[in-house]
Amino acid sequence: MPLCFLLAALVAVGDARNPLPARIDTLIVAGHPDFAKLAAPAADDAEFVRRAYLDFTGTIPTVTQVTAFLTDSSPNKRATLINSLIDSPGYVRRMTWFLDVTLMERLADVKVPRAAWEAYLQAAIAENRPYDALVREILSNDGADPKTRPAAKFFLDRELEPHLVTRDISRIFLGRNLTCAQCHDHPVIDDYKQSEYYGIQAFVNRSFLFPNAKAPTAIIAEKAEGDVTFVSVFDKAKKQFTITPKMLGAKALPEEKPEKGKEYKVAPAANVRPIPAFSRRALLAGALTAPENTAFARTAVNRIWAMMLGRGLVDAVDWDHSSNPPSHPELLELLTDEFVSHNYDVKWLVRQIAHTQTYQRSSEVPSQLKDIPADRYLVANLKPLTPEQLAFAVAQACGQPSGTGAVGPFRSMFSARPGEPQDAFSSTLDQTLFLKYGATVRGMLASRTAALAKLTDPDAVAEELFLSVLSRRPTPDEKKDIADALKSATDRNATLTGLTWALIASAEFRFNH
Amino acid sequence: MPRCTYACNTADHSVSRRSFLGTTALGTTAALGAGGFASGMANAELAKAQKRVLVIFLSGGVSQLETWDPKPNTDTGGPFKAISTSVPGTHFSELLPHTAKQAHRLAIVRSLNSVSDDHGIGAKIMLTGRKPEAGVEYPHIGAVSAKLLGRGSTAALPGHIQILPKGGGGFGNADSTFLGPKFASVSLGDGKPPADLLRPKDLSPESDAAREDFRRKLNDRFAKSRKSAATDAYSESYEQAERVVKQSDVFDIEKENPKVADRYGRHDLGRHFLLARRLLEAGVTYVKVSHSNYDTHHENFDFHIEQLGEFDSPFAALLDDLADRGMLDTTLVVVMSEMGRTPRINDRYGRDHWSKAWSVALAGCGIKGGAVVGKTNANGTAVADREIYSGHLFHTYLRAVGIDSTKNFYPNDRPIPYADPKTAAINEILA
Repeated sequence: MPLCFLLAALVAVGDARNPLPARIDTLIVAGHPDFAKLAAPAADDAEFVRRAYLDFTGTIPTVTQVTAFLTDSSPNKRATLINSLIDSPGYVRRMTWFLDVTLMERLADVKVPRAAWEAYLQAAIAENRPYDALVREILSNDGADPKTRPAAKFFLDRELEPHLVTRDISRIFLGRNLTCAQCHDHPVIDDYKQSEYYGIQAFVNRSFLFPNAKAPTAIIAEKAEGDVTFVSVFDKAKKQFTITPKMLGAKALPEEKPEKGKEYKVAPAANVRPIPAFSRRALLAGALTAPENTAFARTAVNRIWAMMLGRGLVDAVDWDHSSNPPSHPELLELLTDEFVSHNYDVKWLVRQIAHTQTYQRSSEVPSQLKDIPADRYLVANLKPLTPEQLAFAVAQACGQPSGTGAVGPFRSMFSARPGEPQDAFSSTLDQTLFLKYGATVRGMLASRTAALAKLTDPDAVAEELFLSVLSRRPTPDEKKDIADALKSATDRNATLTGLTWALIASAEFRFNH
Repeated sequence: MPRCTYACNTADHSVSRRSFLGTTALGTTAALGAGGFASGMANAELAKAQKRVLVIFLSGGVSQLETWDPKPNTDTGGPFKAISTSVPGTHFSELLPHTAKQAHRLAIVRSLNSVSDDHGIGAKIMLTGRKPEAGVEYPHIGAVSAKLLGRGSTAALPGHIQILPKGGGGFGNADSTFLGPKFASVSLGDGKPPADLLRPKDLSPESDAAREDFRRKLNDRFAKSRKSAATDAYSESYEQAERVVKQSDVFDIEKENPKVADRYGRHDLGRHFLLARRLLEAGVTYVKVSHSNYDTHHENFDFHIEQLGEFDSPFAALLDDLADRGMLDTTLVVVMSEMGRTPRINDRYGRDHWSKAWSVALAGCGIKGGAVVGKTNANGTAVADREIYSGHLFHTYLRAVGIDSTKNFYPNDRPIPYADPKTAAINEILA
């Protein structure tokens, strides 16, 4: 690093020898002139333990886990909990959900079955495969070998549709939604050029599904010829451009031009998958994950940050361009550099962020704070539970051994539309009716009722209820509410079920706060 | 920062996902009060004045020759006669005897060219009033109606409902495009109410009310220190759900006067028409009823006897009922399809896909009853006069319900005309 850069970095982030979490916090504090005065304090223990379990295992803690944490007097208990959760099987489950939704965005499982895909991701996460290596597998696998075929899901389940693949490579891996640039240079965003869009598309324009796009067992094949040309719809002269594979902002990659007659290793013929001597698609994985293509690591870091903090440093996570700058540009650069120098280690990055004060801040808005700028991290953002977290959390709240069985109905009810990002929170009538009267939730409530029915003391009921559903102890007011409800109950079990339901339907439960 | 202001419309982030009656619709409970729509005089008045749209979609492609534009005694006319109607000089196919008596309420367009002979594209053209274009998805007439005619956050019920012949119901349809998920259709498969609308039997009304009270109390406490647009939207969605639940009888045609129900008929289409009327009466802005299936590549004539036999009398009953209730003046009724059928009769006595010269019928709000516009040639193989595109119809629908169809929507600040600016309303059939 040149000296001037090094000095600038030192000034900006304090002592570079400090651990990363402290440097993250320094940059976040520097992001608001009155940060120390306005910011919320650290989350209390109950808030923290629920948040950590949801973020690192995908579900809320059990009563035993909550009380163990609340009664632990060790000063390092938060760090200890973070480390143990990140090393637990729950982390694999949670990150499988995260990577699945990031990469596949709820598209239908048309070519690679869900179970095989999840098993593939689980194996990668369990061994903490570097993110760049994982993405290289995903972008280079052709689906022909049954043993490794799940890695090809990204292409196969998109049926290699050129525009869909171009859109999603640029959005998911590069943080840029170039869709507008399909027909013309983006009218208001200078960095979104039509040539960038088609430069990405040129990596895959010769690839196709063999024997055809509809076959469930289709594999990826490639031709030796075919150019990408485009015309701007704004150009009255209809000037046509031809473009070869190139990464965003980079030069076109050199292409090999095999001699005439030697274009194919396996020549096209009826029922034969052609293999070209020179493959454009084979260039993609390397070019995309190359360190000089900083958009790749930057996008990964931003997406992981958004998962944990409820908002990307670049927001939305696929809208990275010069007129939508990051909320904390130096922080995003720091995290990107560190992620690359730590060999794209996702677990390491999650752990570093988890150990920050920024992550551990309370979501309770201090009374002095009037308008909360969401991008300053003065207060922890509320994060709606994902469909999977919600399924597991409801199951856990009801004392069921596993949430696996509930994932299907919750996914179909709460997921974003296929191919669309899970955007801002909304609550739709069908979702509310599902929680209110639906058989899935009603069926789960029974086990909690049965457990509560064994308790006679109203205070014990309140303790058990709040600890199991909201992962905290009840307040005196809440204890009184429970006691009053039980006193006036004509049907005690119905009342217990109703109380449990009310806690599950509360906003406090619906959000990771 | 507008995400994209010209010539592309992915709406990727411009609207949050399928928030049917979502965040923007939330936030007001007051206007209707707990009793919902039917509770007060003011609301009844409001309902009367509210314009509504009912589309009857004869799915698969209905034959214009067996309905609105008969050509008896020609090489293409088929075996059926033309019969006179309540409008002197206007004839319908003899398969529509009851509808013929309603002709004075109907305006017929006989010169429609809908451009595509494909079911999916044809349906899109007819429901959006445009040919498909790269880079922009236009909203369906149902979403446009719900958006422009709906009562917004005061509505207890969804504004855009489609009743399908069978299958499951569902939310989150993609037909509202850039207008946002709030205006997307809610499907009622076989007219069944939305899932989980009815309180389960093992939950007493008292227990339900008690648990709702406690939920509200918990939310109020949580909101003291963690109030946000998202938590408000979540809390409010339960109030919204309660309003719809209170109106759940609207979805139940068993609650209808049996004499009225008999007039509609007790078969599927009769039930679906009756449900449509109940929904419109309760304040739903747009209802589409689909009748399946008119795709008669084989045995066109037998199938049209059956299909139109189901359609004819309930449709006439529906128009009478709307008129009796004073709703026809405020309800635009359109009978359309994704295409017509070939004048040429194929060797299986079928008619194939045909978009070049066919007919639709309109009635009610803003429509000049008895009007006929456009003409086909003697055997129906081409438009002879006043060629109409789906864009003309789209303008006409909007004008009929009192909307200036030349205005624009502005998704992401980009102007998108309500209706195709290359076309205009069909003034001859507007009242």
